[in-house]
Amino acid sequence: MSVTHTPRSRQVATTEVAGADAAATSAPPPGSGGDRAGLKTRVLAVATGLSMAVLLAGALLWAPTDRLQGDVQRIFYIHVPAAWIGMLGFGVVFVASIAYLVTRNARWDRLAASSAEVGVVFTTGVMLTGPLWGRPVWGVYWDWDPRLTSFFVLWLLYISYLVLRSYVTEPTRRARYCAVLGIIAFLDVPLVYVSVRWWRSLHPGPVVANPDGPQLPGSMLAVLLVGVAAFTLLYLLLLRLRIDNAVREAELAAPRRDVPPARNRGA
Amino acid sequence: MRTLRHAHRIAVKDLRIELRTRDILTAMGLFALLIVVVASFSFPTTSEHREQIAAGLLWMAFLFAALLGIGRSLSMEHEHGCIDALVTSPVPRESIYLGKVLSNLAFVGVAQLLLLPLSIVLLQLEPGRGLVLLLATVALATLSLVGVTTLLSAMAVNTRTREAVLPLLVIPVAIPVLIAAVQATTIALTGGALADATGWLLLLTATAALFLLLGLATFRHVLEE
Repeated sequence: MSVTHTPRSRQVATTEVAGADAAATSAPPPGSGGDRAGLKTRVLAVATGLSMAVLLAGALLWAPTDRLQGDVQRIFYIHVPAAWIGMLGFGVVFVASIAYLVTRNARWDRLAASSAEVGVVFTTGVMLTGPLWGRPVWGVYWDWDPRLTSFFVLWLLYISYLVLRSYVTEPTRRARYCAVLGIIAFLDVPLVYVSVRWWRSLHPGPVVANPDGPQLPGSMLAVLLVGVAAFTLLYLLLLRLRIDNAVREAELAAPRRDVPPARNRGA
Repeated sequence: MRTLRHAHRIAVKDLRIELRTRDILTAMGLFALLIVVVASFSFPTTSEHREQIAAGLLWMAFLFAALLGIGRSLSMEHEHGCIDALVTSPVPRESIYLGKVLSNLAFVGVAQLLLLPLSIVLLQLEPGRGLVLLLATVALATLSLVGVTTLLSAMAVNTRTREAVLPLLVIPVAIPVLIAAVQATTIALTGGALADATGWLLLLTATAALFLLLGLATFRHVLEE
């Protein structure tokens, strides 16, 4: 395929891709430099698809049915990996935010922004699959249990991070502000966890089973690990696509720098 | 120390402006009082859980008043172009942050000193020997709240929506402070002493330290145009 040697010249790239049947997966607009992600993205996409298929088969067919919870328990295989990898995504935001403030390289900002978005998608999935499981097992969709509450606050923190991103127009200012918030939000998480734990221990709610008991049968653990691998791949794939997108956004926005920036501040 | 001397000067400037206009304190104090009044209609303030409801209510009033006042205090700097003068002056950025924290602490503190006795009367509270714990809680939680709100409001005033985005940024981050403050205040209003809320006070001290250190470390990245 034409993408294997990733041509630097944009004209060459568009003519070659036009001839090949390669434009199907990500379909970059001509001349936008979209080919830089080409092969790796495609390999990643195939690996993600395969591992997701294995995960589905394992979770729905192979893993044994939970004796107490029944089939509902199978949501665990996407709920838990999405939660873990979502939190990993927020950790990446933290590291990339520090790296941006130190180096002032826009790549770190794009990494932080993309990782936050993918992390919010994953944690939103967690917030949606949790109640689906909670209703049949606990009898309620929601409970102010420490784990649920602190996860909810975590989700809110990164929603507000994305809101800040959308409200600051000037790119370098946005990068600086969001890096500061990305650092605060991550360091706030342990405090949230401690405060919520103590708060609930003063007023104990209904006794709630832990969704992930420590004694897990081997086959269940195996499917869970497949889930973690599949969601890691999905995270990397979405992150890659989102970063490509951010690069194109930056390229589109670049010529506007010549216009005097008189929009935001009237000093 | 130079940093502190400059911070002191910036705070004095803010207080002098406030003494002349009384904009921020009037808005903040009245707003907080209105929250207490509206909440008294909305919640059963004569029930047996009165102290718990009063604690939540007080902190809602303090939080929203602080958001209003600090947002105002930072956007005033922008309206008069003062922030540009501060940025170009040979003053360390940390001094600007500390100065704003000091003046905001003064604004919020005065509003709280007015509101606290008024609420104790209006909500029929009897803190008694819990008064020391109540004051310690208010002091520590306010320090955390003002520390993080001052930093975030310096960013909020430069967004498309100005101060409107400030609550969205502050409230999620301030949730541990609010939980600890409400719990410690409940203990205080039911007559608890300092020793009954050691954990919460420690947590409030930790958040205050973290937020102020983060503010000092990152404020120069916020104020950099």
